[in-house]
Amino acid sequence: MDPVTAMYVAQGMHGLAYGMILFLLASGLTLIFGMMGILNLAHATFFMLSAYLCYQVIAWTGSFWLALLIAPIVTGIIGVLLERFLLRKVHAFGHIGELILTVGVSLVILESVKVFWGTESLPVQIPNVLQGLVTAGGLDYPIYRLFIIGLSLVILIVLMLILYKTRLGMVVRAAVSDADMVDALGINVPLVFMLVFGVGTWMAGVAGVAIAPILTVFPGLADQVGMDAFIVVVVGGFGSLGGALLVAIICGLLNSYGVQFVSQLAPVLMYIFMAIVLVFKPMGLFGERE
Amino acid sequence: MNILETQGLYHDFSGLKVLFDVNLQVEPGERHAIIGPNGAGKTTLFNLITGTYKPSRGNVVFKEKDITGAGPWKILRQGMGRSFQITSTFDRMTAFQNIRLAVMSTRGIRFNMFRKVDKMQNVTEEAEEILKRINLDGERDIQAGNLSYGKHRSLEISMALATNPDLVMLDEPTAGMSKDETHYAVELIRRLTEGKTTVIIEHDMDVVFSLADRITVLHHGTILATGEPCDIRDNQAVKDAYLGEMGGEEDVCY
Amino acid sequence: MMNKMLKWILWLAGFVFLILYPKLFGIYYSNVFVTFAIFALYATSYNLLLGYTGLLSFGHAMFFGTGAYGTALALTHISGFPLIPALLAGALAAAILALILCPIMVRVGGTAFAMLHLAFGGLMYVLALKLRHITGGEDGIGGFDIPPFSIPGIVSFDMTDPLQFFYFAMVVLIGSIWILWFFTKTPFGQIMIAVRDNAKRVDYLGFRVPQTKAVIYVFSGAFCGVAGAVYALFQNLISAEDGFHVMTSFAPIMLTMVGGIGSFFGPIFGSAIFGILEELTTRYTERVELVFGLVLIFVIMFAPMGFVGTVKMIKEKWFTRQGV
Ligand SMILES: Nc1ncnc2c1ncn2[C@@H]1O[C@H](COP(=O)(O)OP(=O)(O)O)[C@@H](O)[C@H]1O
Ligand SMILES: [Mg+2]
Repeated sequence: MDPVTAMYVAQGMHGLAYGMILFLLASGLTLIFGMMGILNLAHATFFMLSAYLCYQVIAWTGSFWLALLIAPIVTGIIGVLLERFLLRKVHAFGHIGELILTVGVSLVILESVKVFWGTESLPVQIPNVLQGLVTAGGLDYPIYRLFIIGLSLVILIVLMLILYKTRLGMVVRAAVSDADMVDALGINVPLVFMLVFGVGTWMAGVAGVAIAPILTVFPGLADQVGMDAFIVVVVGGFGSLGGALLVAIICGLLNSYGVQFVSQLAPVLMYIFMAIVLVFKPMGLFGERE
Repeated sequence: MNILETQGLYHDFSGLKVLFDVNLQVEPGERHAIIGPNGAGKTTLFNLITGTYKPSRGNVVFKEKDITGAGPWKILRQGMGRSFQITSTFDRMTAFQNIRLAVMSTRGIRFNMFRKVDKMQNVTEEAEEILKRINLDGERDIQAGNLSYGKHRSLEISMALATNPDLVMLDEPTAGMSKDETHYAVELIRRLTEGKTTVIIEHDMDVVFSLADRITVLHHGTILATGEPCDIRDNQAVKDAYLGEMGGEEDVCY
Repeated sequence: MMNKMLKWILWLAGFVFLILYPKLFGIYYSNVFVTFAIFALYATSYNLLLGYTGLLSFGHAMFFGTGAYGTALALTHISGFPLIPALLAGALAAAILALILCPIMVRVGGTAFAMLHLAFGGLMYVLALKLRHITGGEDGIGGFDIPPFSIPGIVSFDMTDPLQFFYFAMVVLIGSIWILWFFTKTPFGQIMIAVRDNAKRVDYLGFRVPQTKAVIYVFSGAFCGVAGAVYALFQNLISAEDGFHVMTSFAPIMLTMVGGIGSFFGPIFGSAIFGILEELTTRYTERVELVFGLVLIFVIMFAPMGFVGTVKMIKEKWFTRQGV
């Protein structure tokens, strides 16, 4: 294997792994924003919060695996509380109300994080089993990235199966697409919304834990990745998990190869891609609703 | 010479065929009523004529010009006004402001950004005059959304007429009105449309026979008959399809 | 008659107040006031679009930032460029951006409109960050000469003197807000309000709705640009963070909501409330943003009609109680 190809593959792996984390974050947002139509600008803040919780759990217990279990669940619970006690009440004011509320919540969480953990970036160690590389076909793959890709795929598949193959999934899809109808059928729609919101936030939490060892943990995490996640949801098409996956991977690859070819301008590529798609398809690649 | 003609008009809503081969002809100066059961396609026909939708097939000709597919704003500027079955006014603006917008439109005041509209004396006067004519001068500064039902409907109808069109299309102007309100509205319409070509969708047969010069019957998306009130009343097909039970009242035709 | 008198007296009082303001409160609070006025204009321009067409944009920072960068670039690269043309350069740059975007933007509505702006706003932000040789990247553009405001041979005001700049900024900002207010009172303004109320009927009255929205869009963009231009002059610095960040896009929405949506003056009250809040909290804590966050949550949960709406409600309640 010549070094040039090896480098391309390595970059591709980086891009894919980033793309998958982006997808984890974005698919949570697809549930919340794309399917339920709730504008949640605190989504990326939850992602950041989970990274901090991950750091904290590791600091206490020394176990990354425990952190991967606990941090997203705690984050999800906070999400459920947000939906149950605040968001639900401002739904009547449309996106503006949700924007004001979730920006407010973001600020409160962000500032609290700074109070508790400071503004320094905090390192998170990859557990031993996930360190190092595997070699196959003359190429080296970093294990942690493979792990992230695998984890994301598992979550995606489980989510798809639940959504499209189970009764629960059917109820959820019906509830988010025609709440009044389902309400009339005697299904507890608010409960369904709360659950879906919780799952979406939980996924942001998983993404937060996954990214912690790569980027370290710092308050700016939300800013850096949050916008990208929104873009993925919007460009992929509202409520389309497949669209989100595709666009997340494109963004990840654009990012990593972009760095190689146009270095500084890599992020610009992504925004141009997005702007072009939205100009021609305002509802995103696979979106139809409005 | 017809002022308005539809030529072989077809329309369907994503597969649901609503109108087929409708050839409506309206003569200048007449009051032309369109009747037909609910769901016959009367409102859809209005929507095609006034530019809400583009017909699937066929043409709309107004004053010898083909206006098929033109937008509502363009058709209005050619001299066709319209009122709606479901009241559609500016509910958070006052009755006066509603009418004033129509007056502005007639006078071609659109992109003027250099004068206060309140200072435009002649516009104000004309709008107030119209309010007086429709007996709404007492409600001048009440928001349209807060008017009583009858007054709100009057405003709806008057906005179509305030742009001073050559042809006015009224979609069930008396919809939902009480007996008294209907009576009042009919007199209002009669007065305001004097000398104007009017196409009116109406369910109340008393109103139809007292107002209309000619009647077109629409049934299942196609025209069953067109003619003077007496002919329509005597038309067997119409009787069978629609008027049926009304055949007994003969006193209208002399 | 009495009403007219009262109006003039109020105008005069406001005028005298502004003249005396720097004397009464000193330079520090004059600068606070300028910041307030900049955001008041920014939010008012934004609200022209949101309040009068219902179009929610998540990317108006691009007009604010373009105005700021336009002015800063003109002053950096053209030596001896006078003040007013520099200000107009910023406004014009923003207006042109709006003009370029409006054919795309007025085609879509609702969530897609908001997201399209988020996307273009994000694009402008990364461009400002990454095109270093033009925009100075993270550091932005600063330290350019602020020319005096002069009418040759008659007067010349030194704009680096905070006091004189205060008066200049007041004239520009309050003048702009007045123009926007006047705008809502013209026939076009009536059409604008009508579009907000019932766009379909506007169409049926012979007015063209997309064109109306496009004009409002460009107007809104241009005046956001003026606010940005004054900001650049005031700070003598503009960075990607201040100019184009999403939070800069969200700022006018928050100011409008807190002040009161659906009212022309709501955004101004909102800016004042946030200005005062910031002044008060910085005395006690560094966590100003925490307080802002709590205020936003409080407002949307308990006073969603904002300041103006709440005052109105209280007034109505008071009056009905008096009536009983
Ligand atoms: N926008 C629309 N989309 C789908 N179907 C419609 C639409 N508007 C009307 N229809 C259908 O077209 C038929 C005719 O409706 P309409 O023209 O409103 O009847 P009318 O005014 O004679 O009562 C009805 O079956 C109605 O359900
Ligand atoms: Mg109808």
